Order: sequence, then C-alpha cells, then structure tokens
Amino acid sequence: MKEVFLPGNLEELWRALEREPAPRPYCGGTDLLVHLRSGKTDPDALVCLERIPELSGVREEEGGLWIGAATTHARLLDDPLVRARLPLLARALSTLGSPPVRNMGTIGGNICTASPAGDTLPPLYALDGEVELRSRDSSRRMPLRRFITGPGETALRPDEILAGVRVTPDGTYNVHHFEKIGIRRAMACSIASLAALLRVSSSGEIEAARLAWGSVGPTVVVSGEAEQALLGKRLTRDVLEDAAERARKAVSPIDDVRASAAYRREVSGNLLLRLMEHRPL
Amino acid sequence: MKPSVPEIGRSLRRADGPSKVTGREKYAADHYGEGLLWAGVRRAGVPHGRILSVDTAEAAALPGVVAVLTGGDVPGTNRQGIVHKDQPVLCREKVRHFGDAVALVIAGDRETLAKAISLVRVRMEPLPGVFGVDDALAPGAPLVHEEWSGGNVLLRATIRNGEAEKALEACPVIVEETFEVPPQAHAFLETENGVAWQEEDGTVVLVVSTQAPFRDKWEVSHALGLPWDGIRVVGPVLGGGFGGKDGATVQCLLALAALHAGGRRVKMWWDREENFLAGYKRHGARLHYRLGAREDGTLHALHCRLFYDTGAYAHLGGEVMALGMEHAGGPYRIPHTLIEGWCVYTNHPVAGAMRGFGVAQVSFAAERMMDLLAGKLGMDPLELRKRNALRQGDRNCAGVTLTASTGILECLERIGGHPLWTGRETWKGQAGPFKKRGVGLAAVWNAMGYGRGLPDSALAKIELTPEGRLRLYSGVSDMGQGNATAFVQIAGHILSQEDETIELIQPDTARTLPSGSSAAGRTTYTYGNALIPACEELRRRIVGRAALMLLVDTLDDLELLPGRVRHPASGREVPLSVLAATMTEHERICISQFLMPVVREVPGTGKEFRIGFPHLFFAHAAHLARIEVDELTGTIEVKDWLAATEAGRVLNPQGFEQQVQGAVAQGIGYGTLEEVKLREGRILTPDFAAYILPGSLDVPEIISLVEEVEEPTGPYGMKGVGEVGANGPLPAIANALADGCGISMTRAPLTAERVLEALRRKGTPGAGETS
Amino acid sequence: MIIGFTLNGKKATVDTRPDRRVVDVLREDFGLTGVKEGCGTGECGACTVLVDGEPRLGCLMLAVQMEGRDLVTIEGLAPEGGLHPLQEAFLECGAVQCGFCTPGMVLAGSALLKRKASPGRAEIREAISGHLCRCTGYQKIVDAVETAAARGGKKEETE
Repeated sequence: MKEVFLPGNLEELWRALEREPAPRPYCGGTDLLVHLRSGKTDPDALVCLERIPELSGVREEEGGLWIGAATTHARLLDDPLVRARLPLLARALSTLGSPPVRNMGTIGGNICTASPAGDTLPPLYALDGEVELRSRDSSRRMPLRRFITGPGETALRPDEILAGVRVTPDGTYNVHHFEKIGIRRAMACSIASLAALLRVSSSGEIEAARLAWGSVGPTVVVSGEAEQALLGKRLTRDVLEDAAERARKAVSPIDDVRASAAYRREVSGNLLLRLMEHRPL
Repeated sequence: MKPSVPEIGRSLRRADGPSKVTGREKYAADHYGEGLLWAGVRRAGVPHGRILSVDTAEAAALPGVVAVLTGGDVPGTNRQGIVHKDQPVLCREKVRHFGDAVALVIAGDRETLAKAISLVRVRMEPLPGVFGVDDALAPGAPLVHEEWSGGNVLLRATIRNGEAEKALEACPVIVEETFEVPPQAHAFLETENGVAWQEEDGTVVLVVSTQAPFRDKWEVSHALGLPWDGIRVVGPVLGGGFGGKDGATVQCLLALAALHAGGRRVKMWWDREENFLAGYKRHGARLHYRLGAREDGTLHALHCRLFYDTGAYAHLGGEVMALGMEHAGGPYRIPHTLIEGWCVYTNHPVAGAMRGFGVAQVSFAAERMMDLLAGKLGMDPLELRKRNALRQGDRNCAGVTLTASTGILECLERIGGHPLWTGRETWKGQAGPFKKRGVGLAAVWNAMGYGRGLPDSALAKIELTPEGRLRLYSGVSDMGQGNATAFVQIAGHILSQEDETIELIQPDTARTLPSGSSAAGRTTYTYGNALIPACEELRRRIVGRAALMLLVDTLDDLELLPGRVRHPASGREVPLSVLAATMTEHERICISQFLMPVVREVPGTGKEFRIGFPHLFFAHAAHLARIEVDELTGTIEVKDWLAATEAGRVLNPQGFEQQVQGAVAQGIGYGTLEEVKLREGRILTPDFAAYILPGSLDVPEIISLVEEVEEPTGPYGMKGVGEVGANGPLPAIANALADGCGISMTRAPLTAERVLEALRRKGTPGAGETS
Repeated sequence: MIIGFTLNGKKATVDTRPDRRVVDVLREDFGLTGVKEGCGTGECGACTVLVDGEPRLGCLMLAVQMEGRDLVTIEGLAPEGGLHPLQEAFLECGAVQCGFCTPGMVLAGSALLKRKASPGRAEIREAISGHLCRCTGYQKIVDAVETAAARGGKKEETE
C-alpha cells in the first residue's frame, strides 16, 4: 500500500514533503496513474496537490499572467484572461487529451512531466514562460526553457514543487497559430506540433516571429534559424518553404509506434506552410 | 416510444435499453460475490520457445495464493479450438506466441495475484520464430506446430471456375496489384472475463462474456475432461464482441480455477493490455490480384492468391479464409476465376473471427481493383460496377448460382442518384488551401450463416408464465447488436403483448436451448425463424384456452390483446393471468427449431473446405466516402458517408441503422487508423494509447439508405445486416484517396504518414496557391 | 483510512486504502457496477464519474481524492426508478448498443447540457470525444444529446 497525502495548504504540503522517503507529488493523475499501472514508476508514497489553494488559479501579475500549477486545463480553457491574453495557449489546451482528461490534468503536471509531446509546452516556449519553484524556505524563478532539461527531466529539486508559471504576453503579436498532428482528432498524443507567434505589419511584413515545435526532439524545439528566415519577409510559399527547410534541420525526432522520425521531420517543416493562411488580406 | 405492441418494420426501443442507460445491466464483468478469488495467467513473454521448466514454488508460497497451476495440472486433453483442437489451455511443451498461457494463478486479491504471477519462474529455450507469411512458407522454416501434417500451412485451398489463367491472357485489359492489410483488434470495451465456481454437486458454473455459451460447454468439457452435463455456462449481455468472444478466452482457465477454489467464486478479468496480448485479432493478409476485362468493361477473369496469417493457433482461420475466398471477386459476375488461398500458422497473436470474417480483407483488394480497372478503361467507376453487379440467377465468383435475394445493383443505383454522388465535382472543387478532396465508392457483400457443413440451427423457447406474462428464452448471445430486441419484437408482435412486459432470459445452458453462436449475421435470421412458429403455437394455445374459458367455439371470434383475450362480440375478456393459471407447464411453453437452408447445387470446387463453404444468402451494400486530405500532413478527414444497404426486409429500422453506422465506424478505423503492429511477435500497440480507435470526431455523419429486397426464407423477409457494412469503408476511402490525390494505396491502414509518403513520391506540388 | 464524501446525493464513508483507484472502490465496495472499466489508462472514458459536477475518470483517481467531493455515478443521475431526460433520449434515439460506454457517455452528455443548454452537433462530438464507443459510430449518441437539449429548451419555454 502506498500512503497518499492530500494537503489542504502549503504548510501541510511542506510537512508531507519532509517525510522519508519524500512522497512523489502529483496533481491530476492523468500521467502518474498510467505509469503506476505500467510499473514505470513505483514510489512508496504520493502527495496530491489538487487541494492547495495557493497553487491554483489565474491572476494578472507584473503585466502578465500567473497560472497556478494545480490549475486544470479545463479551468484554463474557461478562463477569460487566458482566452483573451493567451490565445496560443488556449488553442493548444483545446487539443490536449479529452474533456475528462482536461478536467483532471493540470498545467503544472504537463510541465513537470516534461514530455516532448506535452501540448502546453510549445506555446509556453513560444511565449517565454517562466516557472515559479517553491520549497518551504525558498522561491525561485526560471525560464521554462531552462527548467526542462530533457525528456521527463526538469531542474526541480527534491524539496521543491512547481508553484506556477508566469507568462507575459507581448500584445504586439497578431498571429497566434497552433497546430498539432495526432493520429486521431481528440485524445491523441502529439506526433508533431507547432506553436507560432508572429507580428505581421499591415503591409504584410513579418516583424517578429517565435516558433516552437513539440514531439520532434527530446524537448520542445526552437529554431532561431527558422525564425530569422521569416523576419522582414512576407508569408509567401517560398519564404515559408525556406523556413521549413531550416526547421527540418533543427529538429531531431525519433521513430516510435506513432510515426517515423522521417515523417516528423517532414511535417515539422510542412506545418509552417499553414501560416500562409494568416496572410493579411 | 411508449410501451406498445411491437410492429414489424417499425422501430422498437431496445429491450436492454433501460437497464443499460441506468447502469443496472449486469455484464459478466459486474459479477463479484462473497469470498471472491481472482485468477490470472502467467503469459509466455516470448513468441516461440520450448518450456524447460515452470517453477511455481515461490508464487505458491506467497500468502494469499490459493493455487498455482501449470499444464500438468490440466485434467483433460488440454486442447481448445473450434475446428482444430490445437490450442493448449496451459502450455506444456512449448509456447507459440507472446500471449500463450503458461501458468494459472488463483489468489485472494488482485495485488497478490499480480505479485504471484510475477513470481512464477519460467525457464524457456527460445526457438526461432516465423513472423509473417513469407517466414512461414520459406523452405526449412521453423514449425509452429511440429505435429501438424501441413507444416506451417493450416489450410491451402482453391476455388476454380472456368479457365482463369487462359481467359486472362485473352483479356484486352488487365490490372494487377498486391495489397496488404494488418491485424485489427476487436477492441470491445468489456474485455474478456468471467466468474466461475463449483457447486456442491460438482457442477462447474461459468458466468462469462461469450458469443457461444453452448459451444463453450463442449470446449470446457473436452479440454478439462469434465462431464458435459456437469458444466453450466451463463452468458449475460456482452460489452461488445464483434467475433472476438467467439471461442475460448477465459472459459477453460476459469473452469480449471474453479476446480481448485473449493467452491468459492473465482473471477478472471483480462485488462486491456492482456486483451491485446492474448485476445484474438482480425487476420492480417496479403492479397495478390489479377483482374481482366473486355474493352466494354465486362469482367472476364480473375486470379488471386490470398495469404492469411492466422497466428499461433487455428481458431477459425481456415473458415475465415474460406469466406474471404468465397467473396474474393466482389459482388460481380466473373465467368473465370481462380482463387487460391493459404492460411498459415505464424508466431503472431491468434487471429480469428471478426465482423466481416475474411471478407473485409478481400473487399479492399477487390474494390481497389475495380477502380484501377475503371481508370484503365476510362470508365466511370459506378458504371463499371453496375455493369458487372450480380443479380439473382447469376453465378458468383465461387461458382454458386444465386437463388436468394440479391440487391447490390439496387444499392449502387441508390448511391448513383444521391446528391453526394451527383454533386461530387462541385464539392471537390471547393477544397481549401492545402486540401484535396476525393470521392470513392465500394460495393460489398457478406454471406450470412455458417455455410455448408455446419448446421446453422436455433431452438426457440417461449413461455406464458403462470402469472400470465411472456418469458422469452434466448439461446444466442446479444453482444450489443440487438438480436434480443428483435426476438422481443417478434414475440410481442405475434402474441400481441407490449414489449416491456416480455421477460427476456439471456443465454444460460441450464435454462435456454442451444441456438448456435452469436456470429455470421445469423442470429436474428435463424433464431427468429425458430421463434415465429413457437410464438404462433403459443398464440393458438392461449386463444384456445380462452375459447374454453369463454365458451366460444371458434378461435376466429377471439382477439388476443395485451394482458388479455377478448371476445369482441360479447365484450367478455379473460386476463392472461387467469388463463395461464389454468394451464400446465407443458401447455404454457412452446419450443421450435429452425435450420438455415443451404446451397443445394454445390460447385465442384473448394473441396478443401470442410465446413463453411459455400453460402446461400448474402447481404449487400454500396458505400460512398467523401474525404479531404491535408497535403501538409497527409491526414485524411472523412467528411461524408453514404451507405446503401440491402439485407432483405427491415424488422427494426433503428436497429438496422445502428448496425450500419457502427460497422462504418469500425471500417473507418480499419481504413485509416487501426493496426496491431508487431515486431518479431511482440505487440507494439499494447493498449488504447497506442492502438487508436476512431473517436467521435473521426466518424462523420453517416447517411443510411435502406434498399429492401424481400428474402422469402427470412423471418418477415429479413437477412443479417451486422457484417456487410464493415467491408466498405477501407476500399471506399482508398478509392476516394485515389480520386482526390491520384495515389493508389495498397497497404492499410491509410495513415497520414503513408499518405504523405505517397504524395511525396508522386511529387504533388502541394497547395495550388503560389507566392 | 476513512474517506467521507457524497455519493449519488447521500453522505458516504468508506474505510479503505488511500491508493485504490476510485473505479475499484465504487464497483467493489459500493456495488456501483455502472462505473465501467474499459482500459485503465484514461483513454476510453467508460469509468467516468461526475466529481463536483465535472466528468472525471475513475481509473485515474485515487480513493483519497474522493474526500469531501460530491460524486455522481450513472446510478445516481436520476432519482431511483426515474430517468434523466438524457437517458430517455438515449433510449429513444437508439444511442445504446452493447451499452458498455453508455454510462460514461450519458454522464459526459449531462455535464455538457448543464454547461450549455443547446449545444451544436460539433460541440456534442467534442464533449464526448474522450469516450470511446465501438458499437454505434457515435451518431445516435449525438442525436440523443441533441434531442435532450431540444427538449430541455422546450421545457424551459413552457415553464
């Protein structure tokens, strides 16, 4: 039998985490319980973060949004602030899992699982999200891009938990594009995804570009080369083909049961061509 | 739909609906009990190996473990199998696939069970395996069954009519292609399970999710050496079956466990992973086709070579292939056919029955060939099909003259007149950027019944209870297809009783009568035909008794009404409760048997088939798929579906539509998503995260057109409709893909990755837009 | 440990290990076998339970997480002996075949109708997209939710 702690506030959480061996934190359980079942993970004890008010909710802070790690995907999707200010994240969330999974799974879980296929990660990379890590005695911040160190690996210390993620959207981006390729149209693990933020001038010139790909590398892939290839250009087929070719060079996908590396590489580039649809009329 | 006396041809609410929508229905999986024990299986974990030893000591010593059994503990023949008894309950000498059962563990709870299973020490000498048809047929290939006289070939058979090879040479137009289809999982939501116990008198009782409770009784008796009359199988409604619960799953294992449980109940419930590992699959196959036609499009000759991978055990492999061969030419007149088949053993998971039994595979090939031919001839694919469509009186590709209802031409005509077909060019022209649209057809058929060699029989039983209500004893499982509702409809209709007052007894070998398996699109046809005379006889007895009680001297003057019999002339009535109380059991129960007719004029070919060839009755369907392909990802989106179906007359329009829609959805899965992927016998798609079924966003709105052609031998003119719809989607989508993108796909499923690769090879420039 | 919660409108407690799955506790300790299990990994939706009104998966929730929550299973959706309008609609529209997905589908549909009185067919399909059905092809399930929504609307108008 595993002990499972259900702290109702941070103080109870810190006490639970002081136990030996430390219980493994989880929240929605949508990944953890699958791994417990398969034997991929088998901790002696668990601590569930779903009841800690300090870890939940969305608020405006420092000109951006602070999102509690224990906030479910469904709550985020319903949140007017998220919808208005983070449409890129909202789009990605709407493709994540299925409605019951979104009612359970949380953004903190998606980040800490650190799967290259985590659907919230490409938009959070493109948005330069920053994580807030807390322990009983400390609090620190770190860019998400640095927090995730490898597939399933993060910079989280054993006494720490992810408290929240802070995103400061740049309101000048006027193209918010997310596309995910899954085998089916819902409840599908990402084969490849692209999150793109563009600032396109009224004359059609790309003034700024942020691109991030999911499922095509050990962690989310960003490509300055591909972004660079767009700057000062228009959303034409040739320009996007050029960026696509750079993207295909930047990614390092693997073969798995869902798709081959070659397919992932190909579509990593192809997904950029969809940006043509955002050409100003 | 308020309670009412059912009418034939009018939709009737499902008999099991209320209990299912409220969660009250008890499936086999919902049976527990006091002092319940859990049983589970230690599986091989290698695809082919010789068992050196199985050490159970450590597992048996674990507190809470009741017994750990191995092959040596199986008392009977230790052999299961519907036609060939080649599958051990627990392997003794060797294992032949990853999921083969090596030891059976019984424990007090699931955690202990899992732990004990992991403690069974199996020493195995790995053997080289055969992982596909080519491996199996290679000279000197390792043998899956050393004792089998045919080597790795379970069945080699030929259907020959006319002179196909010579006739092909004379054909001005020939198309040739090789197709591949993967194994498909049934993926019923209720995985294989049951509960068993031994009564004080020694009787072993099994409550099990099964499509064939009466056959199970024979299987258990044979495999475990138990007296046939000492086994009782209870078969509640199933949470899906589709063929995958036709045959031994948990039955013999559970019965064996019950023998070691000291009268306690033992439950075995395979989890989803075990369902993938040990459950049956649709046969993967390779299909080589050469089809020749005259210049006007008249089909002339067909030669095909079909290879079915039956996996480690026979199950119904030979019969599945036989049905595939019988349908290999599609629903068309082809005077010269040579259809060769090889059904081979491999070290793959066991393949068996699945909706569209062997036919779903060949339908892909046959219908792609028709479009390839149409392309070569420059003919409209619909016209080509209509020109060659079988009519009653024609000889089909197996050499059987069709004497029963044959409605494929009518189905094709219905499709041809529909706006989804006539408006296709406009629709295709409206594709957005990076999208290509295509429209594809498929004409398919599927035989009903077991075919020659195996009597397709049912024994129906209906009772007027002492309380004056109807009780219907169904001997054939309802796995969700709604046959039990059809039985209620028939009984209520003939006996003028409201459907909700009719008590339905699901199969139970101690209470209901043998009526065959829930399979082959036969349940309503065969059982329904048995039920009609039983109900008519009961009606005569009820009215006859009422005549005595009301002193009326002719039955014509009496009216049977819900709950009563009335004499309209005088207004006098006698309630059924009063009437029934005056009848003996013998009077209150009526039983009748029906045996499905078979082909009388058997063709002089296909002699290798012991059972299951040929068939007399076929359902027919024409499907139309409209798809949109994304050129950037290769993803196919199925936008619209039209299915015109002929399966005799329709008893229950809603039930008919359920079968059509469900079959199309399964077929869309088979066509675009589903594949049991294997590497050296190991399943790479071991759960629902990796094996992807269509969800609610992957299946379009399906328009179902009904083409009613009376089948005079059917109950109220019906034929079975359950299977035919599963055969259309893969070829229709493949044809739509060829239409929209000009790519000819030969390997299913048509995944985004395969489509994109084909588009790339073809050099499609992508969206029409340029910079 | 003792876990207290509301189950189908009534206070409930259970003395059990905290790490058991909710689907097992409900099926085995409470006999609520309308909570089905089809995959154990959150992919099929058969084990759906309403937790504080939201559909959640009983196979991905541990017993301790029931503490203080309001759980509704298919058995408790309508008062004893009655039917929820959506259950009625499922019967009428023929949305049930084998029925193993039905409890999850009905609960998902009922939660949708609470959020949105008249959803379109696309929204209905989206709402049930976490629930696999191998029998129906989904269409009649969509019909049923749509039908119940239309009825609900009418009822409100007349009230």
